Amino acid sequence: MRRVLSLLVVTIIMVLPALAGEANKKYGAGVTLDSAVGISELLAAPDKFIGKRVRVDGVVTAVCAKRGCWMMLTDPDREQGIRIKVEDGVIVFPLEAMGRKASAEGVFEVVNPAGEKHGDAEHAKQAEGEQASGGYSCAEQEKAAKKASATYQIAGTGAILY
Amino acid sequence: MRLRRLVVAVHRDVGYFFAGLTVLYAVSGVAVNHMADWNPSYRLQKTRHEVGLVADGTAAEQGREVARRLGIEAEPMSAVRVGPGLLKVFFEDRTLTVSLPGGELEDERRARRYFLYEVNFLHLNKGKGWWTWFADVYAIGLAALALTGLFIIPGRKGLSGRGKWLVAAGLLAPLLYLVLSR
Repeated sequence: MRRVLSLLVVTIIMVLPALAGEANKKYGAGVTLDSAVGISELLAAPDKFIGKRVRVDGVVTAVCAKRGCWMMLTDPDREQGIRIKVEDGVIVFPLEAMGRKASAEGVFEVVNPAGEKHGDAEHAKQAEGEQASGGYSCAEQEKAAKKASATYQIAGTGAILY
Repeated sequence: MRLRRLVVAVHRDVGYFFAGLTVLYAVSGVAVNHMADWNPSYRLQKTRHEVGLVADGTAAEQGREVARRLGIEAEPMSAVRVGPGLLKVFFEDRTLTVSLPGGELEDERRARRYFLYEVNFLHLNKGKGWWTWFADVYAIGLAALALTGLFIIPGRKGLSGRGKWLVAAGLLAPLLYLVLSR
């Protein structure tokens, strides 16, 4: 009985830190590139970066509320953001990341306006609304996002929340 | 007979060890099954307000001013202009999305769902690390429970009796679903 209780206590002690603070937390493979590309630089000349591994720095301005499968990283000086899309369940961004500085790394890519590349139209629609409107998901802005000719994102392999 | 005693012992002790976690995972399983209808880990509440014209300034200044007008005493964690005429002001547990300069805003408050956040954290393996391995051991334990459970009772009520029909019925449900959902 004592052994079982000891095991339970050890388990709880080991799980609690994971549930606690998210500061300086590494997600997935983290960030390996030393220098970041400006988000506005990516969006100004996307063809130059498509298919390439990039690192971006910014502030987390939106997170997938249900699955944590994407986050929007915004350059606070340029008012532009890019979606960091990760594989469902492999990396889970917490809602507590909102407003925090972060770095993310992955492959820059273009997705179609309907955003169905990953087979999750609902998430893509929400994220496109965020990208076009900077996070204000009212119906008109979502419609405007749908009309956009192209949407870019980073297929994220890792991130660090500061 | 000796083999059956071993089967019973394994089933009993593995069952005892994983009983708590199985109940937690069952609760989380129901919660995340209905993710399309609700957020199983967070309680989100959105309200709309108008705080009047917001004067020009840095994002931080405007964020503080909006928060003051809403009567929020906490200092914003950060404030970022995320697009033309759109400001987001972040606090630990809420986000204000403000339309500039008009001052119409959406106030989203978030709170972790008590107990459910924790069980979903474990069940969905959000923390990764060593929990991944523990969850693997748990999965193997579940398989052991299922397999040993088949051979605990001998005779008419055992696998050779009605047990085989119940096992077949249990397998039929997923097979039927797979066929019908094609």
